[in-house]
Order: sequence, then structure tokens, then C-alpha cells
Amino acid sequence: MNIFTIPFSNIRKKKTKTTLLVLVFSLGIMSIVALHQVSLVVGDSLEEKLSTYGANIIISPRSEKLRVSYGGFNMGEMLYDMNKLGEDETVTSIMSIGHSDRISVVAPKLVSNVVIGDVAVAVVGVRWLNELGIKSHWALTGTLPEQGDQLVMGARAAAALGVGVGDEVSFLDNRFEVAGVLAQTGGDDDQAVFMDLSTLQGLLGKADEVSFIEVAALCSGCPIDDIVAQIRTNLPDADVKALQNIVYQRMESINFVQQLALSISIVILVTAAAMIGLSMLSAVNERKKDIGILRSLGYAKFHVFTIFCLEAALIGLAAGVCGYLAGYGASFKALDILQFSDNFQPVFSAGQLIGSALLFACVALFAALYPAWKGAVTEPSQALVSI
Amino acid sequence: MLHAHNLHKSFHNGGEKIQVLRDISIDIEQGEFLSIVGRSGSGKTTLLNVLSTLVQPDDGQLYYQKSDLASASADQLNMLRQNDFAVIFQFHHLLPYLTVMQNTLLPFMRSFVPVSGKIVDRAEKCLERLGLTDKKDRLPGELSGGEQQRVAIARALVKSARILFADEPTGSLDQKTGEEIIQLLEELHNDGLTVVMVTHEPLYARRAGRTLEMAGGEIVS
Repeated sequence: MNIFTIPFSNIRKKKTKTTLLVLVFSLGIMSIVALHQVSLVVGDSLEEKLSTYGANIIISPRSEKLRVSYGGFNMGEMLYDMNKLGEDETVTSIMSIGHSDRISVVAPKLVSNVVIGDVAVAVVGVRWLNELGIKSHWALTGTLPEQGDQLVMGARAAAALGVGVGDEVSFLDNRFEVAGVLAQTGGDDDQAVFMDLSTLQGLLGKADEVSFIEVAALCSGCPIDDIVAQIRTNLPDADVKALQNIVYQRMESINFVQQLALSISIVILVTAAAMIGLSMLSAVNERKKDIGILRSLGYAKFHVFTIFCLEAALIGLAAGVCGYLAGYGASFKALDILQFSDNFQPVFSAGQLIGSALLFACVALFAALYPAWKGAVTEPSQALVSI
Repeated sequence: MLHAHNLHKSFHNGGEKIQVLRDISIDIEQGEFLSIVGRSGSGKTTLLNVLSTLVQPDDGQLYYQKSDLASASADQLNMLRQNDFAVIFQFHHLLPYLTVMQNTLLPFMRSFVPVSGKIVDRAEKCLERLGLTDKKDRLPGELSGGEQQRVAIARALVKSARILFADEPTGSLDQKTGEEIIQLLEELHNDGLTVVMVTHEPLYARRAGRTLEMAGGEIVS
């Protein structure tokens, strides 16, 4: 038996009132937890969808540049000491970083200039599945190549060469069938010819070599700078650059969802805390007799204050546990309704459960500060009026 | 033991000032059984509350064992109420959600440190003396009025109070139970406890060693 016995016994005796209070506070917490879980899943899912519209990290071979000029005549920059980028080793290194769970797509590319007829075009070797992972916006006439001797033409390249689906073109001493033609993208893809990476590596005698690798990383769980730093550690001889504008645009979308959830959560939390505060205020008024008894037994203001605070904290603790579990369960239903439940699921964490219980105990405690103080400063003479 | 000199106390009701105590002086000696009688509104309960430090007087001095209680800090008054003074009220005033044992130990449940086994043993003995051993795990609502008043007395006994202030301790009880409570107070007084009792029952008042009569906020005899 100690001071804890008093609020605990009171809560236990007033089962209906306590249950209602815990229920109301739990509902608030449930909404907050469910919103938080849903916003995380929606954020991840949204980001995964956004990542299909382009990469946000570029990895290229490290090289040194030298500006060449003579007699006031500028001859531009020369690349020297250029490292080669091996496809297998680089992809393995990327996928072995600590944040590998945040890597959505790795799309390696080998780029070369070729002349078809009398038109110079860029030919790009790609891994089709990976490439489509970051080029979901591609619209295609025809089909994707199914064999090494098939290719896809950018819209402007096809127009310049005067070829369409089913036509054949020759370069690098080989004939290729145009399997598909891209609709205009407004970007570099319009002027390029896309083909299987292994075939191009073989034709150019550059087995396992790539020009650069595009990576689509999910940035909502960690900053892009962390991912880039980890890739740099694994690939010290490569240039790793984050396309910050793309990252920030995506993060803005994700942050909007999460900030919306946070704002709603704060409103719910304040409302729930206000209810706890009002309920405690009413409890203090109802229990002036108890305060009088306690003060007549030598309880100081601090002891009375502690009793009411403990009572609120106990309610917050119970509501925190119930609310977290209910919110976790409700998030599945909400995601089901929102049709976001395919690839991502809410994550249960014992740490979060304990954290949530402690956090909401503190919130309830904070809400009870004024009522507890009001009870504490009630003089025995005032409390005795009700006796 | 407890000396009051020229106590004054008034309350405000709306804009009206009501003088409840007027120039009260009392000397209460150790081991005395004092009863205070008077009509309703005569100020006897207010006097008891002032003497037990639950209510501050507007003017006058109050000394307990030569210490001036008017200049005592809130902590000192709390300690006094915790250790030396015990108050029982007409309607028993037990916390309804605590068991008989918990209510008896209430003065010792102020900290997070559990009540020591020694004090629990003392509470057991007090409850045994008052015939409440078999009811120690019950809630006050499951007890009769007399039993509840005995729990309030047990609470005073377990902390070894030096003065017991009793405000109409038989007021809500039937005659037989009231008589039992008065007998119990007499027993405690015989054991050396100082008892100050407010009552409106002349029969019970006469059982005390000394009786003061109040009227209009003054001691009239």
C-alpha cells in the first residue's frame, strides 16, 4: 500500500466512468495511430509509384576533367583517367548498402553513338524490366523487344530515320528489327534507340561494362543524403549524385500526406486531452470531500496533486495501450478501403506500443495538471464545506 | 497542551460578513476529555476545525505544546495533522474506494514507499481492538454506520494521535451504536488520549470531564 493505491483503487471502483474515459481517449489514440500507420504506408506506396517516373540517383564512372585551351582558343574539356563501371559489381554494391530496403529500382545503361544510314543517333543498352521500373510514363507503339535483335526507337529518332514498327535498321554490322516506337516524351529518350544491354555490350566489346546506372530510391524513411553516402562508401571509385530537385518534389508529395495526417492527429490529440482535463476537473469538484479527508490526515498539497496526476496518467497509460492496438488493427481496414494494401503493410512494434502508452500517459498527465493543481490548492476549510 | 486565546473567525456569505467565533479562549490539558455543546449554528464545529488547524482563525493565538501555530508553516501543520491530531466527523468520512485496512492506513500512504509491515501490524491490532478484524478487506459501503465510525477511530489510533477531535461522532448513529462509540471514546481517554468532542447530545456531553457551552460564537459557560 502506498500513494499509488489511492488513484488505482478509485479507478477500479468507478469501473463504468473509467471505462468510458479510457474508451473515449482510446478512440482518439486509435485515430492517431491509424492515421500515422496509414500515412506511412500511403507515403511508401506513393513514393514507389512516383519512383516509376524517373530515378533520383545517378552513378557514373569517376573521371578527371582538363580544360584545354591554347593561344586564347578554347578547345573545351577533356576527360582523362576515366574509371570503368562494372555492371555486376556495381549493382551488387548498391544492393548491399544499409538502406537497401529503400532501393526501389536499379537501371544500368551503356550508351554509344552510332550512325544509321547517314543519321547519328545515341544507342542505349538497357535491362528492359528494370528500365520500365523507372519509365512507367513510356507510351509505346508496337511491343517491347523480346529478342536481342529487336529494339525500340525514340519518336524523333524514328522520324529522322523514316522507320516504323516492323522495319529493319543496320548498325554495328548487324540488322535490327524495330519492335516498338516511343511516343514523344519531350526528353532525351526521343532521340535515342533502346536495345538489350547484353547485346550492346557484346557488339561494342564491353562485356559487363556500363556507362551509368540510374537508381530510384524511396526517400520517405531516410534522407536521400544517407542513401547516397552509403552508396559512395561501397563505390569509392564512382561518382554518385542525387538529383535533388526530383527528390525534393517527391518528398513534398510524401510530406504533404504525412503533414496532413500529423495535423489531424494533433487536433484529435488536443480534443482527447481536453476531454481528460474536463473529466479530471469534474472529478476534483466531485471529490472535494476526499481532499478534505486527505488534508485532515496531513496530506500536503503536493500529495493531493500527485494523486490526481497519477490517476490521469493511469488512464492515459491504459488508453495508450488500447488505442495503439486498436489503431494498428484499424489501419489494415483503412488501407483495405483505400486499396493501398498490396505491397506495403502497417508495421507492429513493441517499442512503439510502449512509447505510445508512455506518450499518452504524459499527455493525460499534462491535461490533468490544471485540475490536479486546483484540487491541491483547495484549502481544508473549503473542502470541509462539502463534508 | 493546546491553548487558544482570543480566537475570532468570520465567513462571508455573499456580501454579508457572518461572525462565527468571537473572542474564544480555551486551555485543553493533556489527557482531558472535553465536550463542546451548543445549538446548531453556535460555532462549535468551526471552533473544532480551528483547534484542529483545518481552518485558520482571522485573529487570535493558538499554541500547541508551547508552539505558536499561527506562525507554523503549511508543512509543519501537515505534520501535526499527520502525527499528533486526529479528526473524526459526523459522517465518518472514509474513502469509499479503499478497504477498511487501506482507510486505516491512509495517514501512512502518502509516499511511493509501501507502508511498513510494522505499521500494518499496528493497524491489525487497532482493528482487532475495535472488533473489525473480519471486515478489514471490506469497502466502507458494506459496513454499518457504527462500523464506519469505528474505522475512522481506528485510523486515529493507528497513528498514535495525541488529541482526537470528534465532530458529532454519534450524530448519524442510532442510540445503541452511539452509546458504543461514546464508550469507545471513554476507553481511549482512559488510556491517556486527549479527546475534544463536539456534540448536541447533553447525555453524551456529560460523560466528558469538562463541558463548554457555546452560543452565538461565544463560550457562554
